[in-house]
Amino acid sequence: MNFQILDWCILFAYLAGSMYVGLRARKYVENMEGYFVAGRRVKVALGSATLIATEIGIVTFMYFGELGYVTGFSCFVLGVIGFLGYLVIGKTGFIVSGLRALKIVTIPEFYELRFGRGVRLLGGILLFLGGVLNMGIFLKMDGLFLTQTMGLGQGMLFTVMTVMLIVVVSYTILGGMFSVVVTDFIQFVVLSAGMLIATLFVLANVNLADMVSAVVNQLGEAGVNPTANPRFGWTFIFWMLIGSVAMSALNQPAASKAFASESPEVGRKVFLYTGITLAGRYMVPMFWGVAALAMFGPSVNSMTAMPKLLGTVIPSGLLGLMIAGMLAASMSTYSAYMLAWSSVATRDIIVPIRRREFSERATILLTRTVTGIIGLFILVFGLWYEIPATAFQYTAITGAMYGAGAFGCVVAGLYWKKANIVGAYAALGFGALAPIGFLVLDLVKSSIPREMMFLVDVNISGFFSFFLALAGMVVGSLLTQKSHPPVRL
Amino acid sequence: MITWAYGWLLAFAAAAVLFFGAALVITIVGARDLKDLLTPSGRSSKK
Repeated sequence: MNFQILDWCILFAYLAGSMYVGLRARKYVENMEGYFVAGRRVKVALGSATLIATEIGIVTFMYFGELGYVTGFSCFVLGVIGFLGYLVIGKTGFIVSGLRALKIVTIPEFYELRFGRGVRLLGGILLFLGGVLNMGIFLKMDGLFLTQTMGLGQGMLFTVMTVMLIVVVSYTILGGMFSVVVTDFIQFVVLSAGMLIATLFVLANVNLADMVSAVVNQLGEAGVNPTANPRFGWTFIFWMLIGSVAMSALNQPAASKAFASESPEVGRKVFLYTGITLAGRYMVPMFWGVAALAMFGPSVNSMTAMPKLLGTVIPSGLLGLMIAGMLAASMSTYSAYMLAWSSVATRDIIVPIRRREFSERATILLTRTVTGIIGLFILVFGLWYEIPATAFQYTAITGAMYGAGAFGCVVAGLYWKKANIVGAYAALGFGALAPIGFLVLDLVKSSIPREMMFLVDVNISGFFSFFLALAGMVVGSLLTQKSHPPVRL
Repeated sequence: MITWAYGWLLAFAAAAVLFFGAALVITIVGARDLKDLLTPSGRSSKK
C-alpha cells in the first residue's frame, strides 16, 4: 500500500477542516440571494479561485491524464483552444456580462424573460438531465484515481468516497453558495499545491527526452499533430472551438460564479483571469499522462496509467498532501455542481410546473432536499455505469446535450432581435437530439449498419449538436416572426 | 515530429508557469477578498 499513517493523518485533518469551515460559513446565509449567489458580493480574485476550483476535479485530472497517455502531445491543443475560448469571453464579456446584468440565478431564468415559461421548463429539464448525467461519472473516475495512487482495495475506497461525499453534501446543503465559495478558496490553494508537488516529482523522475521519444515511437505523427490523430481531427477541433466558448459561459456551475460576482464587469474579469490559467490546468495532467506513457509503455490501462505514475513517484507524506489536493479539487467541483443542478431543479422545473412561487424558506429547503438526492444518485450511478468513448468525450457529449441548445438560445436571445419562442424550442430540441442519439445508439452499437456508424461518432455528434441548435433557432425564428413576434428584454 | 514534440513541451512550460504564477497571485489577493466577504462591516456597507 502506497498510503502510510502520515498520509492518512493529513487526509483526515484536511477533510475535518473542510467540514468545519464549510459548516461555519452557513451563518452568513441571510436570505435566498445569500444561499444561491453569496449575496452577489464576490470580487475578482476570490471569484477566479472559486471558478478554477470548480472546474478542476479528480475527474478532469483523470480524463486529461488519459488523453495524454493515449494521444501524446496532440491533446495539448485542447489547452490552447480552451484558453482562446475563455479569452474571448474575458476580453469581450460575451454572454456572461449580459446575463449577469439581468441579475438572474440560473440560465433558464433568462429563457423565461426572453421566450416564456415553457422554454424555461424545457431548458431546465435538459440542463438538469445533461448536468446530472455529466456529473454521474465523476465518482467512478475519483475511485479509479484513488485506488491507483493510494493502493487501496475497493472496500476502503468506497468508504473514503462516501465520507468525502457526505462532507461535501453536508456543507453544500447547509451553507449554499457561501460555503461553496469559502471552501472553494481553501480547496483552490490546496489543489494548486498538490498539482505543483505532483509536477515537480514527475519532472524529477521522468526525463523529457524519454517522453518525446516515447510519443514519437509509440504514436508517430498522431502523437504530435492533432489533425492526424484519429481521436481528434478537424471535426473535433471545430466542435471544441465552439464548445469552449459555449460551455465556458453557459455551464451552469461556472455561470453561477459569474452571477455571484459584484457586477457584470467583475464577472467578465473572473472569466479573463480564469482563462489565463486554463491552458496550464489542462496541460499539467495531460503532461502527467504523457510521462506515464514514457514510464510504463503503451500496455497499461489508459485510465489508470497516470494515477499509477503519481502513486509511484511521490513519496509518503507528500502523497497525503497531493491526495488532499486532489480531493480538494473534487470536493469543490461536487459542491458547485450539486448546488447548480439543485437550483435549476427547484427554480426552473418544480416552480414552473407548480405555477406558484415558493417562499424563500421553502425554496431553500427544497433545494437542500434535491442536493441530497443528487448526492445519492451520483453514488449509485458512479458504481454501475460503463463509460462510452473516452471519459473526456463522455463529459463533452453530455455537456453538449444542454450546452448546444443553451448556446443557441442565449446567444440569439441576447444578440439577435428576431429570436423568438419557436426558435428557442427548436434550438433546445435539436441541440439535444444528436447527443441523446449518440448515448442511446452507443448502447446498440453492434447492430448498427456500417454506413450509419457516423451516428455513433462522438465528434460528429458533438459538432452537429451545435450546428443543429443554431440552425433550429435561425430557421424557427425566421419562419414564425408574424405568428410569434419576438419579446424584447 | 521531434520539433513538434518540443514545441508542445515549450507550450506546456509556458502554460504551467502561467498557471502556478496566477495561482500564487489569486491566493494572496483572494484571501483579502474572502476577508471582505465575511466581515460584517463589508456585508452591511453593501446593503
